[in-house]
Amino acid sequence: MAKRFVSIWFRHLKTDWVSLRKPMFSEAPFVLTLADHGRVVISSTNAFAQKLGIFVGMALADAKAIVPELKNISDKPEPSGKLLENIARWCIRFSPVACIDPPEGIVLDATGCPHLWGGEENYIAAIRNRFSRLGYDTRIAIASTHAVAWAVAHFEKEKMIVPCGKEADALKHLQPAALRLSIDKLELLFKLGIRDIGRLMQIPHSTLRRRFGEELTKRLRLALGKDEEFLEPVELARTWQERLPALDPIVTAKGIEIALRTLLDQLCRRLSAEEKGIRMAIFSCYRVDGKLQQLKLNTNSPTVHVTHLFKLFEPNIETIEPALGIELFMLEAVVVENLYPRQKKIWITRSSIEDERFSEFLDRIASRIGQNQITRFLPTQRYWPERTFRPAVTLDEPIIEKWPLNRPRPVHLLHKPERIDVTAPIPDYPPMLFRHRGKLHRIEKADGPERIEPEWWLEQGEHRDYYMVEDEEGCRYWLFRLGHYVTCSSPQWFIHGFFA
Amino acid sequence: MGYAELQVTSNFSFLDGASHPEELVEQAAMLGYAAIAITDRNSFAGIVRAHETAKAKKIRFIPACRLDFQDGPSLLAYPSTKNTYSRLSALITKGNLRTEKGKCLLYKSDAFELSGSAIKFLMVPPLSLDLNFDFEPDFETTLREYRNALGKGLYLAACRRYSGDDAKWLFRLNALSSDYEVPMVATNDIHYHVPQRRELQDALTCIREKCTIQEAGFRLYPNAERYMKTIDEMNRLFRHFPAVIERIDEIVDVCSFSLGELQYNYPEELTTDGRNPQEELTVLVWKGAKEIFGNISEKTAATIRHELDFIDKMNYASYFLTVYDIVSFARKNSILCQGRGSAANSTICFCLGITSVDPTKFDLLFERFISSARNEPPDIDVDFEHERREEVIQYIYQKYGRDRAAIVATVTQERQKGAVRDIGKVMGLSADTINCLSSSIWEFTDEWFEGKKLAEQGLNIDDPLLKKVLQLTGQLMGFPRQLGQHTGGFVITQGKLSDCCPILNARMADRTCIEWNKDDIDALGFLKIDVLALGMLTCIRKAFDLATLHYGLELTLANIPQDDHAVYEMICHADTIGVFQIESRAQQSMLPRLKPRTFYDLVIEVAIVRPGPIQGNMVHPYLKRRNGEEPIEYPSKELEEILGKTLGVPLFQEQAMKIAIVAAGFTPSEADELRRSMATFKAKGQVKQFEDKLIYGMMKRGYDREYACRVFKQLEGFGSYGFPESHAASFALLVYVSSWLKWYYPDVFACALLNSLPMGFYQPAQIVIDAQNHGVEVRPVDINFSLWDNCLENQSGKFRAIRLGFRQVKGLREEDMKILVQSRMLPYSGIHELLNAGISKSTLERIADADAFRSIGLDRRQALWEIAACQDHYTGIFRGQAVPEIGMEKIVLPEMPLSEHVVNDYASSSLSLKAHPVSFVREKLELLRVVPTRMLRSTEDGAWIKVAGLVLVRQRPGTAGGVCFITIEDEAGVANLVVFANLFDTFRKEILRSRLLMAEGRLQREGEVIHVIVNRCHDLSGMLRNLTETKKEDLPLLTLSRADETISPVYAPNIKRSVAGNVADDNLFPKGRNFR
Repeated sequence: MAKRFVSIWFRHLKTDWVSLRKPMFSEAPFVLTLADHGRVVISSTNAFAQKLGIFVGMALADAKAIVPELKNISDKPEPSGKLLENIARWCIRFSPVACIDPPEGIVLDATGCPHLWGGEENYIAAIRNRFSRLGYDTRIAIASTHAVAWAVAHFEKEKMIVPCGKEADALKHLQPAALRLSIDKLELLFKLGIRDIGRLMQIPHSTLRRRFGEELTKRLRLALGKDEEFLEPVELARTWQERLPALDPIVTAKGIEIALRTLLDQLCRRLSAEEKGIRMAIFSCYRVDGKLQQLKLNTNSPTVHVTHLFKLFEPNIETIEPALGIELFMLEAVVVENLYPRQKKIWITRSSIEDERFSEFLDRIASRIGQNQITRFLPTQRYWPERTFRPAVTLDEPIIEKWPLNRPRPVHLLHKPERIDVTAPIPDYPPMLFRHRGKLHRIEKADGPERIEPEWWLEQGEHRDYYMVEDEEGCRYWLFRLGHYVTCSSPQWFIHGFFA
Repeated sequence: MGYAELQVTSNFSFLDGASHPEELVEQAAMLGYAAIAITDRNSFAGIVRAHETAKAKKIRFIPACRLDFQDGPSLLAYPSTKNTYSRLSALITKGNLRTEKGKCLLYKSDAFELSGSAIKFLMVPPLSLDLNFDFEPDFETTLREYRNALGKGLYLAACRRYSGDDAKWLFRLNALSSDYEVPMVATNDIHYHVPQRRELQDALTCIREKCTIQEAGFRLYPNAERYMKTIDEMNRLFRHFPAVIERIDEIVDVCSFSLGELQYNYPEELTTDGRNPQEELTVLVWKGAKEIFGNISEKTAATIRHELDFIDKMNYASYFLTVYDIVSFARKNSILCQGRGSAANSTICFCLGITSVDPTKFDLLFERFISSARNEPPDIDVDFEHERREEVIQYIYQKYGRDRAAIVATVTQERQKGAVRDIGKVMGLSADTINCLSSSIWEFTDEWFEGKKLAEQGLNIDDPLLKKVLQLTGQLMGFPRQLGQHTGGFVITQGKLSDCCPILNARMADRTCIEWNKDDIDALGFLKIDVLALGMLTCIRKAFDLATLHYGLELTLANIPQDDHAVYEMICHADTIGVFQIESRAQQSMLPRLKPRTFYDLVIEVAIVRPGPIQGNMVHPYLKRRNGEEPIEYPSKELEEILGKTLGVPLFQEQAMKIAIVAAGFTPSEADELRRSMATFKAKGQVKQFEDKLIYGMMKRGYDREYACRVFKQLEGFGSYGFPESHAASFALLVYVSSWLKWYYPDVFACALLNSLPMGFYQPAQIVIDAQNHGVEVRPVDINFSLWDNCLENQSGKFRAIRLGFRQVKGLREEDMKILVQSRMLPYSGIHELLNAGISKSTLERIADADAFRSIGLDRRQALWEIAACQDHYTGIFRGQAVPEIGMEKIVLPEMPLSEHVVNDYASSSLSLKAHPVSFVREKLELLRVVPTRMLRSTEDGAWIKVAGLVLVRQRPGTAGGVCFITIEDEAGVANLVVFANLFDTFRKEILRSRLLMAEGRLQREGEVIHVIVNRCHDLSGMLRNLTETKKEDLPLLTLSRADETISPVYAPNIKRSVAGNVADDNLFPKGRNFR
């Protein structure tokens, strides 16, 4: 059977995509822009903008001069590949072989598909309608070679179906750009007065090759089906899911345990083959009465350690109510991360955050007291004491900044500084005694002041003069005075932390 | 106890200090400090300003610097005498010249060479202690090393930073100090004069570190303590070490050197025969006078004697000799030059050949040039040909040596746009917001800071972040950002220049400049010579050369016949395309009204069409009086003397100043100060004060208020945008010379002009068309006839024909074309010969694009077809033979229609000799009832009319209140359009986008000046698109191509950039140039 290819061209791929997410842009001229050598250049336009004479490659300033109400959004420099890939997957409903065709197209190997829709006419109309309902403006053509389908989609106006064997006829009146030649070749052809492919086809191949190199003849051969083009179809996304139907409804905890262990075994084997590990998993039990019981777990680092994962589920198994019985078990790894095998060390010199036993330990604690009860702090480059640290995103996030050691900081910093009463000589001596929560502290030793200004870009306020003090019991505190000492008002003093 | 601050970083340590030197000195004076030093990083750039301020505020100023080493802690250095200052300056020079601009490479060994030279050094210790609460061990080692090398001159800088461990730090430092006998001295490490500047300093740090304020972290300082504190506070902070404060005096007392001691000495090697400079000058002047005047009239002789006496008295002879020397060098190498500016007031300058305007004819005032009252060195600016000025510059370097001559710096300041971008980035605003902010700026107004304009842009002005951005932007503006080089101001000294000021490498190769700008130089009484570049001089010199070659004329600026009636006639008809100064649209419309008939009329013409007189509303009164439509009257007798020459209307800078003196009672120096203060917007407050003084002064003397206000308004314009009379006279001479050339030798003139581009208002196409209109034949570029430059060929009609050169073709390189021309022993007969000569294929394609193969019988398309096949050509014994097309029938390429040829001509050379693009659409235009521009002359005033043409120039001058002037061109000539502001907004798109613009409107005629007052605009660029299409039957569906808006593939824009396909949206036809 003759091959048939469908070429889908998204005329405003990126802008359509943005309009779908930001409907306020869908009714007005707007463009996406990229910075290019200090200028802001338009990288995509929508249909409205295009109608007003705005085109890709124009400087934004020029465009705004023409259409002052033009909206613009910064484009991301990466190509539209990801977006196209998703669309291509979605297209598998029309043909099993869907490929991306960057920058703004998709090609389907439609061989044997159109009759399911009642012919090619209906087929491409169906595709176009589906896309236009989604909000994408497309032009779609079908032909026996990909190259011709592409050319017709981009350059032909009406006849979007090229019958078998009529490739040459379809191409004849199209301009050479329809062959996807490089810019300099197109330029040369234009200057030579060769404005359509028909004229190009009249010239013997040897002459063409001598003057324009291999590229042009190769493109022609591809278009006319003399050479075959290689396409790389997209695949459907994998899901990490395992099911276990029960022959008889399961009602015992033991049964559930066995089911869970079996599922974990299967899933972890699959995952480790792909060098992936579980970060989040859901264990679902479908009951005979149609109710669903679920267990969920998080881990601190990706793992395929079955025993460990089982231990994390184990304490919660008793919360599952089997009632009349469970007929189907399902385990899904919702969040999966790459798991690279760690190099095994012969001697473990010191326990560290990298030790997987440590992270498994934390997982187990977390499964008892809750994930959000465990925080790891990392230093930040800030002076303002409340902001000198931040919680780590993941457990094993490496420390980039070192904890600064030249500025002594208390091991226990109060969440909010607490007011204290002090007796302090003026103007910037440390206090002699202070009262905190009813207890009087007599200060023996002190160091300071360390003056820290608030971060003016976040808040306005007075600076703090910090003192490190030691009372007669040898306990050390971090105190500060807010603002300058001014004779007329009594300054406010606070305690902000406790040293070890 | 007193206090003096010794460690001060001003904003001349770029992106570090956050206060101007002036602010720092003023603050120090206010706090009652005994003295202040400025210690910028490896630089003396800010010290002159500080010195001047200190002089005014009566506080001791110590010029100093901070030496940052590549291999050790920094030292602050305080010179005690002129000699040590010079050595320090030489040290920085050494560091500067080791590396590129903006950097300074110094090693501690360099500083050690200065030991024992009575320079006081302050060593800056590290700011933090290590884990054992002690200094890092290497600090101790370096301290020992410094101490051994520098001996008693070394001190340690102690400062309080409020970093928590100040007491420990001071204690440790004190211990080291007594161990090594290096005494401690108190400083406060000043970065800003008031604590409020901390925010700006943080922002500067971020700009320097290229990060946002949110991620700057420890790169900022934790607190705002680096400001100037009161003396009591300083004493309190160092109460445990009172000696540290007392010791400041030790340094201050020794370092008594002041910048005022720097003495400028003229270079001396310019005299001959053992004469002293004054004698030498006298000899040269009289010699020159004899050559020029022949018989010297008694009046001239008296003037010369007067000037010589004056120069003798002021001791300026060496300066004149220096300028004379440079000018003679240029003469000897036949580089055209001419003095401009106030030097033209001097008869001596004329006799020495520095200027070309005969001051005896003009009654120009020598006192405007130099006056003892102003006590300022003279300032001679000399223009040279722009293409050959570098030779003059290198001559100066060579003659005096790089250690004695250097270019003056310009301090590049933060402008509003740059400032708002920098601050916006620091504050983490998005690129869009920053664009929005900076595009909302038109000029510096308070309105902008209040945010009114911003609200229009859709920004929330109540947003605290945005407010902060605006506030910091306001502070940052005017900050020095880097040192650039002045356009041509030279300082030349007798001794080493580095004795006075550090020298640094400029960004351009082979240029060195000093750290001070022209104000600094002025303040210290240094002399500077401006070696400027002027494109028109290049053009005139090239014209002179051509005239010698082809007409056997030996022309100079001085021997062009004066007062030629025919030349003035041409000027009166505004036939001045390409002529210096009077070719602009505004000038052209003024010429027929003013009708210049004498040289002095030209002087006025040059001066009158300037923003100064236009804003001062002086143009119309002058025209009316000149045409006798208004009586010539003077407000008073004393003003009649001043304004007599210009019919009672002040047109020149010096007239305005004289009015201030005579009518408002200003002293001459006050008047000059007034002019200066207006030229620079930075001195905002001062203008108001002068305004009151001037207006009240004039009213007191019996002038009415309205007149006084007008004079002031005018003065305001003159400050920056007016011409002094002598300057106008110098320019007028060039106007006359270029007009004379254009009238008598349009071939020579056009050819020289084309060879000197880019300059002036017009594109090559207009110059060529203009030459053709004057009966000059212009021939196309051709491989067998053209040179790189445009040249003249044999006589054709009245004049010689111009052969366009390869320089008109885009993308050709001069070296390649030199090879092509050199290998052209015999005419080329085939493309392979060019290939064998070593011309690359891509170059050949460019030549083919320019259609330059006609002489071997190939048009551009055929040539391109041949070139496409030429990668296989014979070498070895078959070399030079053409490769036959093997076994193939000849391919017939479609014929290129004429219109497409024209389009391609424009694409490759921006002009076409074949036809004008508009002529191809004339039929269609006629259907629209568009008249050719030549019809305008015979159309009556007020008629409704339609014209169309290529847009040449769009101009929206700031003085015209939003009115846009557009010049369009069709095959018959040009038409001048006027679009009023409200219509401009309506037709914004058409005006800005059209290549081919059709305008409807009413014709307005005023004598010879014809405008079309536009009512509607249409973009007809689409018509041009059809120029490249061939016949429809050949390409039945081409209309479906990119032009079709429903399809318009994405790939088209990329193609558009290079293919000559889409004429309308392309840059093929020049877009039209936009001027403000």
